[in-house]
Amino acid sequence: MGSPGAAQAAPAQGGRAMTNVSVMVVDDHPIWRDGVARDLTERGFEVLATAGDGESAVRIARTVRPDVVLMDLNLDGSSGVAATLGITTELPDTQVLVLSASGEHSDVLEAVKAGASGYLVKSASVEELVDAVRRTAVGDAVFTAGLAGLVLGEYRRMAASGDGAEPTPRLTERETEVLRLVAKGLTARQIATRLVISHRTVENHVQSTLRKLQLHNRVELARYAIEHGLDADPEETA
Amino acid sequence: MPASPSGAGARAIADNTTPLWLGAVTLRIVTFLFAVGVFSLHRHGYAMPCLGWATLGAMTVWTALTCYWFVRPSGRRLNVVIVDVLLTTALIIASHYVLSGEQLIRPVPLVTTIWASGCVVSSAVYGGRAAGTVSGAWISLVSIWARGYFDTDIARDTVLLSGIGFVVGLAAVTARHSAEQLARALRAEAATKERERLARAVHDSVLQVLARVRRRGAELGGEAAELARLSGEQEIALRSLVSAAPQESTVDGEVDLRPQLQLLATPRVQVSVPATQVMLPAVAASELSAVAREALSNVDKHAGPDARAWVLLEDLGKEVVLSVRDDGPGIPPGRLAAAEGEGHMGVAYSIRGRVAELGGEVSLYTAAGEGTEWEVRVPRRQPRRKGVVR
Repeated sequence: MGSPGAAQAAPAQGGRAMTNVSVMVVDDHPIWRDGVARDLTERGFEVLATAGDGESAVRIARTVRPDVVLMDLNLDGSSGVAATLGITTELPDTQVLVLSASGEHSDVLEAVKAGASGYLVKSASVEELVDAVRRTAVGDAVFTAGLAGLVLGEYRRMAASGDGAEPTPRLTERETEVLRLVAKGLTARQIATRLVISHRTVENHVQSTLRKLQLHNRVELARYAIEHGLDADPEETA
Repeated sequence: MPASPSGAGARAIADNTTPLWLGAVTLRIVTFLFAVGVFSLHRHGYAMPCLGWATLGAMTVWTALTCYWFVRPSGRRLNVVIVDVLLTTALIIASHYVLSGEQLIRPVPLVTTIWASGCVVSSAVYGGRAAGTVSGAWISLVSIWARGYFDTDIARDTVLLSGIGFVVGLAAVTARHSAEQLARALRAEAATKERERLARAVHDSVLQVLARVRRRGAELGGEAAELARLSGEQEIALRSLVSAAPQESTVDGEVDLRPQLQLLATPRVQVSVPATQVMLPAVAASELSAVAREALSNVDKHAGPDARAWVLLEDLGKEVVLSVRDDGPGIPPGRLAAAEGEGHMGVAYSIRGRVAELGGEVSLYTAAGEGTEWEVRVPRRQPRRKGVVR
């Protein structure tokens, strides 16, 4: 999800009604999957497809090209993280929103590093879900307090384990401040008020923390591919 | 299959001192052959050759018997070890009468010679350091009596025998200890596997249905909404429960603080933690989760039924930061101080007390209408930790 994708998506979204956002639901449990699909359809979203495992999720997404993929990480026999990476690599205009059980910390973090632009727990209300899908569709990062805690922890882990030989992404002081406030449950508006900055600046800080993490992850993947003699995707190394 | 790992653990415990027992058996055979050589070399000078033959015969039978017993786990019994020490003692005493006075002084080895060390090794393997050292010293004492005098050579043998008992006993204790650790690790692994299996099962069935009930119920409204609320609470409780890892402490008594905090999650309480473990001494971890619980119960009491709360755990390496924030009405200035001044054992007293015990700091941000935020910073390595050593 580079900035070109967001830039393209924004005018398109502005041109049509918000409710025309197209969605794909990936979850291995039929009760949940069909329930979410129905909830979203009832609220005017266009549910293009559903998938029960990671491989068919990537295949179907390639064909239907939804605006937003709702991704469960706990898929039967396949990895939601790999599917997230596949979708965000192949389809820059498609955003992935992780909708998963709480407590799958490392998986959520890996999915976000693989390119997912947000995370919502399954216990969230329908209103929260609808709001999150809308925001994801326009390219905003859906940052729950839980995700902020995970991202903060990941930056600190990288800072602590870095031997200085490889450059690891760091948070600026302001970004750390913003992330901590998100993790403590403050809304973007409350953070803006407390730090005396604009609401948009808060959003930018939050997105920048994600982008650095995802960029670092792509560089790592490319390096791994080169070191192991695999052909690197030119898009990834760019 | 939970039976197989625990079965492997039990086997590992039973088999762990086996190499030591086999070593003891080998030593006994080698020292027996040595004793046979000594006997054939010196038997013509013996004062009582018949008793000498009897002694050698007893050694032969006992060597064969102990070899038979000690290679089997069922034969490594306390009574065998005791008889081993007593019989060896008796044979050393007999040697005193076998050897002539001139042989005792020269000195010619006793009939039992270094074969006598066999019982020291087996009691050390069986009973550990103390048993090994004591039986080594005992066999030395008996040998000194049999010899009838004490010099540097005998002193050296005494030290060697007791030392062997100590060292072999130490090895036996270490072997058993590592077997226990292995068994504990296998148990923890089995528990984790079982928990993961349960978590998958719960995730795939109960949770999906609960989530669906919550969703539909909230849409239908009325009494169904009440059912939805109850279902939602159970859903979150169950999710926290199956996602929290088992509380298995590491060898150095540290535990991961995250699962304890995650259990505090409710529909109104969001718990945010890093993806990696936050290891703390068990006492510090339970104190910190108690702090979080108290701060949350304070939210329940004072912030109103609709207030939400957030718990954030951060690991900064040198210190751990725990924040608890709510979006309630906040505490008016001076009220906390006033309560403390009146000597109420209020939340501030309790939280500050716990954190001070851990060598940490508490800060409280609050203002009318802005909610309450506790921030607790606890250093990783406390110079003095009260109550940690139990």
